[in-house]
Amino acid sequence: MFLAFRPWKKEGKLNYMDAVRPKESLKSSPSYARGKSRYIFANRFRALFAYLVLLFFVAFAVGPVLYLISPALRDSISLFDYPPKIIPDEPTLDNFRFLFDSTRYLSWALNTIIYAAGTTIISLFTNVLAGYAFARLQFPGRNLLFFLVLSTLMVPVAAVLAPTYLMVREIGELPIIGRPFFGLDTYLGLILPCTVSPLGVFMMRQFISTLPVGLYEAARLDGASEWRILFKIVLPLIKPALVVLGIFVFMITWANFLWPLVAASGDDYRVLTVGIASLKGQFVTHWGVLAAASLMTLIPVTIVFLFFQKWFVQASMAGALKQ
Amino acid sequence: MAEVILKRLVKTFGSVPAVDDVSLQIPDGEFLVLLGPSGCGKSTILRLIAGLEDATSGEIVIGDELVNFIDPTRRNLAMVFQNYALYPHMSVRKNVAFPLETAKMPRHKITEAVSKAAAMLEIDEFLDRLPEQLSGGQRQRVALARAIVREPKIFLMDEPLSNLDAKLRLQTRIELMSLHERLGITTIYVTHDQIEAMTMGQRIAVLHEGRLQQVGPPTEVYDVPANKFVATFMGAPPMNLMDGELQQSDANWMFIREGYRLQVDQEQMRIAQSALANAVGEVSLGVRPEDMRLGDLGSNGLPGIVRFLEPIGSDLYVTVSVESHSVQVRMPPKTKVSIGDKVKIEFDLGKAHLFDSSQNNLRLS
Repeated sequence: MFLAFRPWKKEGKLNYMDAVRPKESLKSSPSYARGKSRYIFANRFRALFAYLVLLFFVAFAVGPVLYLISPALRDSISLFDYPPKIIPDEPTLDNFRFLFDSTRYLSWALNTIIYAAGTTIISLFTNVLAGYAFARLQFPGRNLLFFLVLSTLMVPVAAVLAPTYLMVREIGELPIIGRPFFGLDTYLGLILPCTVSPLGVFMMRQFISTLPVGLYEAARLDGASEWRILFKIVLPLIKPALVVLGIFVFMITWANFLWPLVAASGDDYRVLTVGIASLKGQFVTHWGVLAAASLMTLIPVTIVFLFFQKWFVQASMAGALKQ
Repeated sequence: MAEVILKRLVKTFGSVPAVDDVSLQIPDGEFLVLLGPSGCGKSTILRLIAGLEDATSGEIVIGDELVNFIDPTRRNLAMVFQNYALYPHMSVRKNVAFPLETAKMPRHKITEAVSKAAAMLEIDEFLDRLPEQLSGGQRQRVALARAIVREPKIFLMDEPLSNLDAKLRLQTRIELMSLHERLGITTIYVTHDQIEAMTMGQRIAVLHEGRLQQVGPPTEVYDVPANKFVATFMGAPPMNLMDGELQQSDANWMFIREGYRLQVDQEQMRIAQSALANAVGEVSLGVRPEDMRLGDLGSNGLPGIVRFLEPIGSDLYVTVSVESHSVQVRMPPKTKVSIGDKVKIEFDLGKAHLFDSSQNNLRLS
């Protein structure tokens, strides 16, 4: 009965609503008009309220980023204008120019790309393998091992920083496998310790276990080896999860500061976060340059995210669509 | 194509035996149905043969090879799953070709084999669609095509029809039978539906609580059930069972229950003297609904009162309460009878069964 009261929602196409649509004579009655306007008002009011709440939180998330733009476009004198102005009188690109001319910004950016992309690719590989093993293979001690992997989630990064540093340094001194391949101030020394994450293993295991066991058994009876099952059946089906994990790892690595700071302190392997921090001088800090550097650092991650956004949504829907 | 032999097969999950000492020989080319209620271990047997589970003890022989320790990938069996287990991200063509690609068959041979299988199962029209774009019956046929495409030694089918609607099930049943006729591949078919078992199986193996109850051609299992379980599981409505006592008076054996005596004719019931002598005491008399009829009140039948009438078109099922028991009788559809009538139930002794106190059919022992 209530449904029959919203004929304005359906224009054009014929549908089941036509059967219960109120007669024309009913439409002209005053109660009909009142009901309709109340309904529309209630709906709009609800939407308005929802948007206001959302806007409040968006302000927290986006505000600081927007606030970076203004100082990035000012010279160091107008930065301290009083009263402060959001939009500068004479916007300038001097800060960006300074970054490219007087710092090794491009080299830092290249290092960061190698660091983040390398970590992402290698960690996807290791996490998928571990997740698959925990989800599908039967072996003694499986649950205990998985528990151990998960329990490392509770260990704070700072606690393992020093031991990891020492390990990387000592391995780096070994012949053959050590420097220049691995060790402090090498790409692999920077990347490898970041490629094992309990969260990634957990996520992959959860996703792989949601796949019907029947698929896996069917593939086995079709003669497929574990590797073939992994590459031909499992990977294509968990693609959304792979993308999500990939973006997570990429963003976290891109913004990682602590590990690159201790593992690659030399100039040749410095990444953006460490590089930007080094711009902060002991006596003078060029806030405009700092803002410009931070702003440019945000761009690639944003692009990566926008590019894979539809996969993000798919992955979060994956549970809902399961049969 | 190959023969399958199961020797004293046991599978336990924890301490629960799912398959308990099952021995079975399935000759080359046979269509065998594993029949039983859910949880009887029939699917587990199938999974043991496939290698998806490891046997706790016992032997599985396929062809002339002991396969207990051979990986499922190398047993060369094809299995059709209840939910079809099609690879959702691959087109029908890719699905069917998957086992051949895995076997590294040359490309032109794969194309040939796929189109042959597709033609046989009439799925050539939608080879390029994804499984989600197909109906249940079509998915079923794709699963079958994927199974037959590499000419396996054995076909395993795990309730392949149970996700189809009634009409499609009937049609697919016939298709499966003709497929078996054409290919002649040894087929082991699991179902809980006794009609499927009766119509499709060359032999039926009835299972209950992990144990094999009876193996034989459908008519034999139906006509001479080995024990009470098989008797009541096969047939719908099930066989009527009446508890009573077996007593010897003079040279005659009598089945006695309150208000009713029946002389047991050894010759007619094909029961050996020794078997009867061993079963003195509590027994059950079993008669199928179609072997019973409503007789007039003067006859020597079981007295009872009509409780329910179930006309199903071709027949009329009459439920009669005999003391605390109820008995179902199949009558012609136009029979004049109404609820509350006092009747006597007569039956053909030659088609009745006696089950001893350990539930075994006396005819078989």
